[in-house]
Amino acid sequence: MRLKRRSQPHSGGSSHGIDLAPMLDFVINLLIFFIITAVFVKTTAVEVSRPTGFEQPENSDSKSVQIQILESGDVWMDNREIDVRAIRANVERASAVDQDTGVLVVASEMAPTHVLVSVVDQVHLGGIYNITFTTSE
Amino acid sequence: MQVKRHTASSDDHGIDLAPMLDFTINLLIFFIITTSFVKEPGITVFNPFASTAEARESGNLLIAIRENGEIWLDRQSVDLREIRTIIERLHIERPDDSVVILADRNSKAGMIAKVMDEVRLGGVKEIAIAADNEIKN
Repeated sequence: MRLKRRSQPHSGGSSHGIDLAPMLDFVINLLIFFIITAVFVKTTAVEVSRPTGFEQPENSDSKSVQIQILESGDVWMDNREIDVRAIRANVERASAVDQDTGVLVVASEMAPTHVLVSVVDQVHLGGIYNITFTTSE
Repeated sequence: MQVKRHTASSDDHGIDLAPMLDFTINLLIFFIITTSFVKEPGITVFNPFASTAEARESGNLLIAIRENGEIWLDRQSVDLREIRTIIERLHIERPDDSVVILADRNSKAGMIAKVMDEVRLGGVKEIAIAADNEIKN
């Protein structure tokens, strides 16, 4: 009688396999660690390139449009001052003339970033993504 | 006798942990996969606005430039000349990462240009300037 009772829990134990509780503790700890360290960063950005030093473009016949940003935040294009929102139309015209046109943004060292980024934005809207950004003293 | 055996075995083992363990391990795997090891700058800046800004999944090295020209990288304020070595070190650890510059909307374009040059010297060629594509506050 006694033996039988003792063998009963043993057979119950074998039917359950190993004890999962310690493993579960460990896994939950890992889970909590990863939940805490998870950072859901989603940055949105515009891409611009920098002139690559000394190499000159071989295809110098494809002229690039130049946009200047002054210290005050005024924008000059084709030797005249234009509104930031007018860049799009000008860039569209330039890209219609030549598909491979690039845009060179020459910003003053002191030009504010929001003007630079909105100029880049307008050029993107005008259909040109090949933007080079340089500064002038 | 039989009743006693029943209660004894159910008291011993409690509820079955296996389904909970399955579920927990699934959660764990989800969080491990979605964890991105983003180097955060540690400060918040007011991003400029650009409607064409695109979400960047791979941008995991964030450099912040404050309005007063301070540069923050990996939760500490760094000097312009330190950026190169820091980027070099991080680039060796994770070669496929890219840099996003979080420039305050009133920071100076010259500072962005200098930071971009230092990052390029550090070996990372993919650089973008962060911008919001929707107007916040």
